[in-house]
Amino acid sequence: MELSFLPHLPFALSQPVLFGALLAAGLLAGEALNRYAHLPRITGFALAGVLLGPQVSGLLDREALHTLRVLIDLSLGLIVFELGFRLDFAWLRLNRWLLVTALAESAFSFIAVYAALEYFGFRPLLAACGAAIGTATSPAVALLVAHDMRAEGQITERMLLFTAVNCVLAYLALTLLLPFLHLEHRATWPEALLHPLYLLGGSALLGFAACVLLLWLSRWLGKREDRQFVLLVALVVLTIGTARILNLSVVMTLVTLGMLSRNLDYRHALMPLRFGYGGQLFFVILFVLTGASLQFGALWTSGLVVGAFVLARFLGKALAILLFGRPSGVRPGGAGLLAIALLPMSGLAVVMVHDTSVLYPAFGRELSTVLLSAIAVLELLGPLGTQYALRRAGEAHPGRGGA
Amino acid sequence: MPETQVADEMNFRPSAHVSIGVELELQLVRAHDLDLARDADDLLARLAKRSLPGAAKPEITESMIELNSGVHRRYATLADELRVMRDIVVKEAGLLNLRVSGGGSHPFHDWADRRIYPTERFRAILERYGFLAKQFTVFGQHVHVGCPDGDAAVYLVHMMTRYVPHFIALSAASPFYQGEDTSFQSSRLTAVSAFPLAGHMPFVRDWAEFLEYYETMRGFGVVASMKDFYWDIRPKPEYGTIEIRVCDTPLTVERAALLAAYAQALVAYHLAERPREPARAAYQVNSFNRFEASRFGLAGELIEPYERRRVKIGEDILATVSAVMPHARRMEAGDALAELAAGVRSGYSDAGWLRARYAEAGSLLDVVREASAAWAGGRDRT
Repeated sequence: MELSFLPHLPFALSQPVLFGALLAAGLLAGEALNRYAHLPRITGFALAGVLLGPQVSGLLDREALHTLRVLIDLSLGLIVFELGFRLDFAWLRLNRWLLVTALAESAFSFIAVYAALEYFGFRPLLAACGAAIGTATSPAVALLVAHDMRAEGQITERMLLFTAVNCVLAYLALTLLLPFLHLEHRATWPEALLHPLYLLGGSALLGFAACVLLLWLSRWLGKREDRQFVLLVALVVLTIGTARILNLSVVMTLVTLGMLSRNLDYRHALMPLRFGYGGQLFFVILFVLTGASLQFGALWTSGLVVGAFVLARFLGKALAILLFGRPSGVRPGGAGLLAIALLPMSGLAVVMVHDTSVLYPAFGRELSTVLLSAIAVLELLGPLGTQYALRRAGEAHPGRGGA
Repeated sequence: MPETQVADEMNFRPSAHVSIGVELELQLVRAHDLDLARDADDLLARLAKRSLPGAAKPEITESMIELNSGVHRRYATLADELRVMRDIVVKEAGLLNLRVSGGGSHPFHDWADRRIYPTERFRAILERYGFLAKQFTVFGQHVHVGCPDGDAAVYLVHMMTRYVPHFIALSAASPFYQGEDTSFQSSRLTAVSAFPLAGHMPFVRDWAEFLEYYETMRGFGVVASMKDFYWDIRPKPEYGTIEIRVCDTPLTVERAALLAAYAQALVAYHLAERPREPARAAYQVNSFNRFEASRFGLAGELIEPYERRRVKIGEDILATVSAVMPHARRMEAGDALAELAAGVRSGYSDAGWLRARYAEAGSLLDVVREASAAWAGGRDRT
């Protein structure tokens, strides 16, 4: 007997099923790891991703990852917006040493990673691209660990500020290296020069336009946190979509939007963004999907390079903060902790690697596997470092042990 | 505690002249979201390296610091010193991305988020008082006025009790609490009243009788030192002062200095003219008067305990200012009192100013922002 109302076998895995399963798997893995091993929840989210991903079980194949890419963009977009919103120019103006420290932190880690990669025989151009990507700290990890531990204080504030600065600088550096990649790829001079200009100028302009719209509509809505949050999500999604249509950088556009929203809001129309329960959704999905795209292959073949990359990056950051941190108001002992807190790399770096290798196959399989392996290590271990640093600095809320 | 140390603490050290000094508890606010910060420790460490006149100290939670002025004979030098301290504190706080604000309460912080400043004394207070300790994240001004001896101090505490509503109404700056308009001019005092040792000094005749009372309470183990009495006005033998503790921290150091000038003139007037003798009635009407002042401010009514009549607090202040004016002039504080009286006539209060900012901007975030700008001296507040 044929019952027409029954579904046909085999079941087709639809997007909602996939999405819900990812969310539940990430949440439960994070909670379990935190409860039984006292590890940060983020590590659990990412591990769930690794287990579901093509590297292990393959439940999430490359195709599924590709279709879910929009979720990564959306989550990352919101996070990067919040990060830009933390970039307080007034503070940097008031405390010049802070600006010096932030710039040095990025510059030193760039130089250190560049030197390490060149030592291992990468061409200068590739080494520079790798160094640019290595400059950035994971904004999602920094924000989520701080949020989960309810961390407050100077080390937390500076970690977020430095993360904002190093992400912006990493993107700038990578974009400025584009013409050289272009030339290697035998593009014409005009194309090589115009592309970075288009990316930077276009992203900044789009971010500015979105900011004007956001401020204008916020003023009209009034100071209601709930409504402003919906407006923000709407505009962030809209901006991401527009940036993709125009082939601009999503991250640059959103950082610009966040940065300008904070610093151009002369009438104080915007309420500070608070990640409530809704925010958790974006975080879980981002880390699960990032976890699924992690690659460990190169760890066995070129573990030495990966190790050197991680070490050089940390030393660069630590040296800068040790040298300039004190006059900027980091308390004794805080510099080391701050450098540890800045360790994580994750989704943002994955996106940078992917975007670059999609544009330029010349980017090199070898380098991207090294980078992705380093990211894998720092995605899983970095949150531990951040959690340790914030707790050690006494800035985590008492009673909020695990993140 | 050894016997000699107790004797030493309770040994009243006479103050020459009618000197004044103030303690101000201040709010530390994050620039990012204008909620209370918890950076007292980092800020105090920076302040320790600056040549700050007076002193900066930790308070019960990490969101507060306390500034202590030096001892002054004149209002003007006190005001100058407070301005210097304010400028240094605002600058150092800015380097840590903090704002500093006056006002008796933070309008929307969540008391449960507060963290106790890690000293033994504050931890003991948390241990004993539980959530009261965290809810004690309110910000007051204490005014010290020098007394010639212990007997005078006891007399003055009795006398100044009549003026408690004046100080409450003149300083009131905590209309908002936990995100709501409390309808009070000063909501801060209710946080103080919850403590078992809040209230007032007992009706003792002289210093000897006070010491007897103190030793009895200490014998019971109710208190370990004078610090454990959270009275509205208390004698402070080691400084040789009486300490008026009912004021909210005003929104500006200028107003804080005006309040000190008023206290100084009142004390000078009572020492020189001894217009009244202590009466129990002053304490019998105290809670009623205190409530009227915290709830309605200058517009409230107080019961005058000596003449047994009701009078508007604002009018009573103006009458009192006229009575003490000759003494204020003698101490070069005539202009200060005239300024204070002008504010009373126009009905000004810091609480009213804060409510006006809320009405104008529609968000308590803006109230905090404007209050910290006012503290830094960046706004004209008339």
